[in-house]
Formats: sequence, C-alpha cells, structure tokens
Amino acid sequence: MDFLNVYLPIAGLHFNVLLLLLIGFTVGVCGGFFGIGGAWIVTPALNIFGFPMPYAIGTDLAHMGGKSIVSTIRHGKFGNVDLRLGFSMILGTTVGMELGAQLVMVLERAGLAESVIRKAYIAFLALIGSYVLYDYISFTRQQRRQGPTAVAPRRETLAARLQRVRIPPMIHFRASGITCSLWLPVLVGLVTGVVASVLGVGGGFIRMPALIYLVGCPTAVAVGTDLFEVMITGAYGAATYAVKGRVDLIAAMWMLLGAAIGAQLGTVAVKYVRGYFIRLLFAMTIFVACASVILKQLALQLASSITILTAGIGISTVIIALLVRGVARERAALRAGQGGAER
Amino acid sequence: MTPSGQPRSPQRWRQTLGGAVAAAVVWLLASDALAAGGKPATKLVNVADTRALEPGFTRWVADIYNTSHWLFALLVVVVMCGMGLALGLLCDRLVGLLGINLGKMSHHE
Repeated sequence: MDFLNVYLPIAGLHFNVLLLLLIGFTVGVCGGFFGIGGAWIVTPALNIFGFPMPYAIGTDLAHMGGKSIVSTIRHGKFGNVDLRLGFSMILGTTVGMELGAQLVMVLERAGLAESVIRKAYIAFLALIGSYVLYDYISFTRQQRRQGPTAVAPRRETLAARLQRVRIPPMIHFRASGITCSLWLPVLVGLVTGVVASVLGVGGGFIRMPALIYLVGCPTAVAVGTDLFEVMITGAYGAATYAVKGRVDLIAAMWMLLGAAIGAQLGTVAVKYVRGYFIRLLFAMTIFVACASVILKQLALQLASSITILTAGIGISTVIIALLVRGVARERAALRAGQGGAER
Repeated sequence: MTPSGQPRSPQRWRQTLGGAVAAAVVWLLASDALAAGGKPATKLVNVADTRALEPGFTRWVADIYNTSHWLFALLVVVVMCGMGLALGLLCDRLVGLLGINLGKMSHHE
C-alpha cells in the first residue's frame, strides 16, 4: 500500500491518498446535505492522523471553498440558492465576525476567553440541537393528528413575526418566497457572524438554522444559501491561512477530489428528503458535535476525534442510502409512467 | 539672546551645543542598536523540504511556497476555485447519467 502514500512537503509528512479521499468524501456528503463547511469533521480527522492543528485548519478551509462551489452549482440548479439573501447576509456576517474577534480580545484581556468560549460552544450546540429536535417532534405529532397531508405547523413562528417588522427597504427574496426588511438578513448575518467568530467556527452550523427559524427560508433554500456563504468564507479563510503558510495544497487537492463527488451526492440527496427529516439529521449531527466537544474538554482528545470521524461516516452512509432509495423510486416511477404511456 | 534680552555666554553656547550633540549621538546609536536587533523573533519561517522531491507538480508547489507565501496564497485560491468549478461541472454531467430529473425542485417541508 506504499504506492498510495504521498509526501506532503508543506505539512512535512507522508499521508495515505485513500484516507484523504475518504475524509473529503465524508465531509462532502454531509456538507452538501446540511449546507455546512464540515470543519468539525475534517480538522480532528486530519489532526488524528498526524497533521499539525494549524495545517489541519488551513487545509480544511482551502478544500471547503472548492467543495462549496460544487454544491452551490447543483443547489443553484435546484433553485435552492437565494443569491440576494446570500449577499445581504454576507454584509452582516463580515461585520459580525470582526466584532466577534474584538469580543474575543476583550475576553482574553479579562482572562475569561478559554472558559467562556468553551462553555458557550457546548451550550450553543445543545440549544440549537434541542430546538431543532423539538421542532421536528412537534411537527411529526401534528402530522400524526392530521394525517400524511399535514404541512408545516400553522402556529406563528418567530420568523413570521420578524418578517412583519417593516423597516425600509423591504425586499422580496424570490427563491425563499419571503418579503422582509433588508435589515433582517443583515442583522441575522451580524449575530451569526459574532457567534461564529467568538466560538471560532465557520458558521454553517449556526447560519443554517438561523435562516430557517429567524429569516423563514424553506429548509432546502437555507442549505443552498448557506453553502453559497460557506463558499465565500472558505475562499477567504484559505487565502488568509495560505499567506501564513498553513495550507497543504496537495492534501487539499486530494480531499477536494473526494469531496466533489460526495458534495454532488449529498446535494442531490436533498431532493429526496423532506425538509423536516433534514432538520432531524441535522439535530443529531449537532448532538454528536456537542458530545465531541465535551469529550475534548474532559481531555479525551482521541475519543473525541474517533467519535466525530465515526459519526461523520455513519451520517454520510445514511444520506447515501436515502439518495439510492430516492433514485431507485424515481427511476421506477419513470419506467412505470413510460410503460403506462406505451399501453 | 536670553529671554531677559542678555546675550548668551560662550560657556552657555558650548553647553547647549554639547547637549544637542549628545542627544543626536544617543538617538543615532539607539536607532542603530534597534536596527541591528531586527524584528522580534516571535515566529519561525516555514519552509517546505524539497530535497527528496523529483521535479513535477508537487516540487513546483513547494518551490512557490518557499518563494513567497503571497504568491502561494494566490495559487491556493486559484487552484481550489478552478478545481471546484471543473469538478462541479463534471460531477453535474455524471449525475445527469443517472436518468433522474435534475431541474428545479419543489420544497417539501
């Protein structure tokens, strides 16, 4: 198997190509399906196999930019990318990330950065995961009461209330099918930017549910629009880490090769899954990420990385299974339709 | 002239000139001393080891990395975006071979 080992001169180590392809593929499937960058899988996975942490982060960001292009192209063709909404949010996200960085400096000066950020991250993941899970459970209960034709819960959502705040300029976001003040996505971008920056994460974990529950996007549009943002933040992050010399381009290219295939499959899988099921899988993913952070805090670094890697492979297997089932059903339906037309 | 209108004594002039020369010497020496020290050694330079590499793409990337990190950053962004675009279009074609409808999808919550 020696021929599968490549020398990575920048990270300064030998690495198995199949492993890079597998990591890329796994994160590609999850990223395309959930609309996230997937740093929570890639960084510990590369680190556990010998990458120094700064190179793991930089290399992850580099491949993330390329992978998100693949997913954004496909989601764009599905009509799941709201460009106007994406650009509105980027404005707020950029300012928010800078504000968040300043807040971290203040916490550092007060000697609170480590403890506050660690606890906030765990609390935040648990909160988002619990809310998304609660939303899924209340929807399925309502569906059971009303039958299979049930639509999304009719109770007034927070997003609907926020959309009613009429501060000019009002904008219609066609792909999302919503009209609201421009300030709503800008503010949501700002808040998610601050939180992402303080917690030191890419932001997909926070933006995707924020687009659903605060802006009011359909789940698939939230996934596609979030990937559009990940594409831009990933390219920017790759550039900044590369300037500091912390990106291994050869490793990123191998990973992108696997991630491109995975991202395409993960994105197409969205077509065969109802929005609420995506939310359920997302909640489970968040709980796994939360568990891994807790393990890390308990100084169980190896257990944390193994949990993340195993969960990533498990979740992407479920997504691929959903895709295969969906494609088989669609093709069977097409054949039945053709057969009926011929008769 | 002094503030009171009296002319400065030669001793006073010598003291003023001596003070100015001493200040200039201290300033020059201090700036020389600082310049000799260079920037604070807070960070080691990252170098890719190319000794064992045969000429080829990996060697070329490593050489660019060793030449300039700014040029390397430009290369990273261009390669990742170019590869993402090319692979995106290629995978799009391949998925089209599955014979499924890949047009606009309706949103089912």
